[in-house]
Amino acid sequence: MKFTSEQLKIMDSIISRYPRSRSAIMPLLHYVQAIDGYVTERGIETIAEILNLATAEVTAVSSFYTQYRSEPAGEYHVGVCINTLCAVMGGDEIYESLTDHLGIENHETTKDGKVSIERIECNAACDYAPVVMVNWEFYDNQTPQSVKDLVDSARAGNPRPPTRGPSKLRTWKENSEVLAGLNDGLAHEGVSAGSASLLGLQISKNGGRQ
Amino acid sequence: MTPEQALLETEVAIEMITVVIDGFEVTVPKGTLVIRAAEKLGIQIPRFCDHPLLKPAGACRQCLVDIEINGRAFPKPQASCTIPVENNMIVKTQLTSTVAEKAQEGIMEFLLINHPLDCAVCDKGGECPLQNQAMSTGRPESRFEGVKRTFEKPISISSQVLLDRERCVLCARCTRFSEEIAGDPFITLNERGALQQVGIYEKDPFESYYSGNTVQICPVGALTGTSYRFRARPFDLVSIDSACEHCASGCAMRTDIRRGKTLRRLAGDDPSVNEEWNCDKGRWAFKYLTNRERVTTPMIRGADGELHETSWPEAIAFAAAGLKDKRAGVLVGGRTTVEDAYGYSKFARVALGTNDIDFRARPHSDEETSFLSRVALNLKTTYKDIDVADQVVLLGFEPEEESPIVFLRIYKQVSKRALPVLSDAPFASRGSEKLGAVLISDLSKIANLTTKSVVIVGERLAETRGAFSSVYELINKSGAKLAWIPRRSGEPGALAAGAIPTLLPGGRPVTDPAARVDVAAAWSVESLPTSQGRSTSEILLALNVKNLDAVVIGGVDPLDISSTALTQLLNSFVVSLEISHSAITAVADVVLPVAAVIEKSGSYLDWQGSPRVFEKAIADSLSRSDVRILSMLADEMGSPINLPTVSATAREIASLGKWDGTPVAFEKSVSEKITELGEKLNLKSWRLLLDLGTLQGGEANLAGTARKASAHISKARAEKIGVKSGELISISSELGSLELPVEICEMADDLIWVPRNSIGSQVIANLGFVNGQVKVIKA
Repeated sequence: MKFTSEQLKIMDSIISRYPRSRSAIMPLLHYVQAIDGYVTERGIETIAEILNLATAEVTAVSSFYTQYRSEPAGEYHVGVCINTLCAVMGGDEIYESLTDHLGIENHETTKDGKVSIERIECNAACDYAPVVMVNWEFYDNQTPQSVKDLVDSARAGNPRPPTRGPSKLRTWKENSEVLAGLNDGLAHEGVSAGSASLLGLQISKNGGRQ
Repeated sequence: MTPEQALLETEVAIEMITVVIDGFEVTVPKGTLVIRAAEKLGIQIPRFCDHPLLKPAGACRQCLVDIEINGRAFPKPQASCTIPVENNMIVKTQLTSTVAEKAQEGIMEFLLINHPLDCAVCDKGGECPLQNQAMSTGRPESRFEGVKRTFEKPISISSQVLLDRERCVLCARCTRFSEEIAGDPFITLNERGALQQVGIYEKDPFESYYSGNTVQICPVGALTGTSYRFRARPFDLVSIDSACEHCASGCAMRTDIRRGKTLRRLAGDDPSVNEEWNCDKGRWAFKYLTNRERVTTPMIRGADGELHETSWPEAIAFAAAGLKDKRAGVLVGGRTTVEDAYGYSKFARVALGTNDIDFRARPHSDEETSFLSRVALNLKTTYKDIDVADQVVLLGFEPEEESPIVFLRIYKQVSKRALPVLSDAPFASRGSEKLGAVLISDLSKIANLTTKSVVIVGERLAETRGAFSSVYELINKSGAKLAWIPRRSGEPGALAAGAIPTLLPGGRPVTDPAARVDVAAAWSVESLPTSQGRSTSEILLALNVKNLDAVVIGGVDPLDISSTALTQLLNSFVVSLEISHSAITAVADVVLPVAAVIEKSGSYLDWQGSPRVFEKAIADSLSRSDVRILSMLADEMGSPINLPTVSATAREIASLGKWDGTPVAFEKSVSEKITELGEKLNLKSWRLLLDLGTLQGGEANLAGTARKASAHISKARAEKIGVKSGELISISSELGSLELPVEICEMADDLIWVPRNSIGSQVIANLGFVNGQVKVIKA
């Protein structure tokens, strides 16, 4: 099945942002994920065609970056940070309990298609360790129980909002659109820097450590 | 182009730089890489990713050396394949620096961590840069005790190339070759980290015409050829330099023989012709040499109408009796060596007393005959002219399909400096797309030709009346360089040898008394036939109407000429000199087996006119070259041609030399008026590189990568016929029809293009002609 002319028009608008068309390959791959949920064959073939690249060249890029998925992601894609700080702060435990709770392993998706999980590398939020990301939105200072509650609420269709970022958690496909560079108009919502990140600044403003 | 080559090719002074490597001074052109400068001193730095014809990559890190400039040392060892030399640079390789030595050992240890120890069953074992360099610069013992990473093996990335991923050291030579040299980026480095691997997009296999080169330059056993896999050990092979018999590009080749059998063929190294590359046809199409259809014993047709094996003396006597004092013609075929073509040429004149000889086993014209005799023989254009051309014009010539190394040379300049290319093709083929060729509908669209422009005409120009005349005028007016590049390897040599109705050897016109005297004296005969002979089609016609009684035929497929060629032969005495059973041997009265290319010595002339000399690859072969057989036949007929061996023939050709008299004038033809098409379409076609050609027989792996046949029409035409892309159409003439899936592309609405000799599309057999009007409807 081909992409709609509407979708192809959006792809063209993404390409038009760059002086050389092939620079658009990464946002276009995100846009394919926004439509299909993962990098599909039709996605690779269409990108190759409109950017005048070989399909192998598109495959090389999409298989290199872990944010591009080769199988469908869940509607809510949960990333558990397992890098050093998050891991010792409880990330490993969260991951264990989450896999038990959902009955799926790394890179797998629940049968209802709602939740997929992935062990992810550092997300630059160590001051909120352990963190979990859902569709690349931050959930700070998590516990095994809070993450279980989070995925349950997501499966029930009413996900708990992120700690930072927009006030409502959007789906994997919706957020992939943002990564493709399409504005969802939610940039002003929520806090961008939380209290833990600003603590040092606060201390220095108050005259530094006494 | 390496800086050294640049120096050779331009007169401009290049700044020279002196560096010290391992205590020795060496002066090299600015821009030379440290690894190359070291080679000049005979210092070999180990390497995998580095290849002199590819851009530097610094991918494998094996070539680390210690460098200091102006007394300041780099803090860490540097990859010598990516760093150009500088003044006051002091380089210490593994030979003089323990730092470099330790760094190289470390890299080697890393590379070997996941590399299997399967050298004993690996095709590369015995000729493997990894194996060799692990011995010369690696640690004697591995410290790795873990479990090696493994992959499912092998995976086929095309029907002819297999990939063992666990052997790969990620040097990216193959992917860089495919992108930079061939323009076919169908293989890439996929995934990342420990799982990084060479791969294809699953639906689009590595179907590049040049894929075999990646097998040859792979520095480990990761890429192997399906046909050669597990067939031989390198140390059992005898390698012989040879020349490619497939096209007029003129590739240097290497043929590897084991106990009298060709196991594989590789690209040879000739910087002025094929650099280090060749095409997949040249590499893999050699099964025809050993197929079951090979003729090994002479045969004569008995009273029962069947061929019977017989002895050489009996066969020669039978053939001689059938030819002596008869009106006979000679069809040489386009694949002979210069020496064999000379044999046919002399045989026709001396033993048969005729100029009825032609090497063209394909559509041809009188205009072409005139062009070949007057113009083509004296051209001096070379590959070098392409390198410095200001534009290239392709007429009746599809380089990637018809002369793939010429294509690589043009593509090199297109990718390097956007060399403008014009083509008269009816649509943009994949080759044209890669060259960014601008399509022109007629020759009047060619502008700005200068003395640096190169105009290349192919053999298919003979199919358009008046085209050679227009080109002749164009060249005369502009002074542009002209090249004639026929598809078959033997044609330039056969032309020079006088295997054509208008010329004696060396370009001597048959109609010029002085030229005849010249040759007659050299051949010790009283006189030579005086009138211009018949061309291929005229010979066939004359045989058909009994104006000729007999014909001597070399390697010719009648369906390359016309759909009626074979039936035209039926009432004549046919002497066939062949390597394999064919349509001709099926009707021949005498079949005389001749040597195939690896069983004989000889030479081809490439399209530049340069001799490509090769020796017998199978030294003890009993097969004899055509010229030897013809000499025996002439002896038996009582009109000896005295060409007992190939080397004697080569000496005679050399002593005869080239004609220095006045050449015949080029006779111009006027282009034909375009006839009213009505509902019909004009058929256009050419042969694809990989198709049903006789010499590609028996090699299924190669055939698996051939481009699929489809009929190309314009969008408007498709709508008119009512077909969508991929649907079948029926193409018919009065003589027959064929069905092909449609491919819609930008082209004139009154044209249709189909491949000339591919599966499902054999134009001459199916439609009866290559150029004509066809009816096209939805199938």
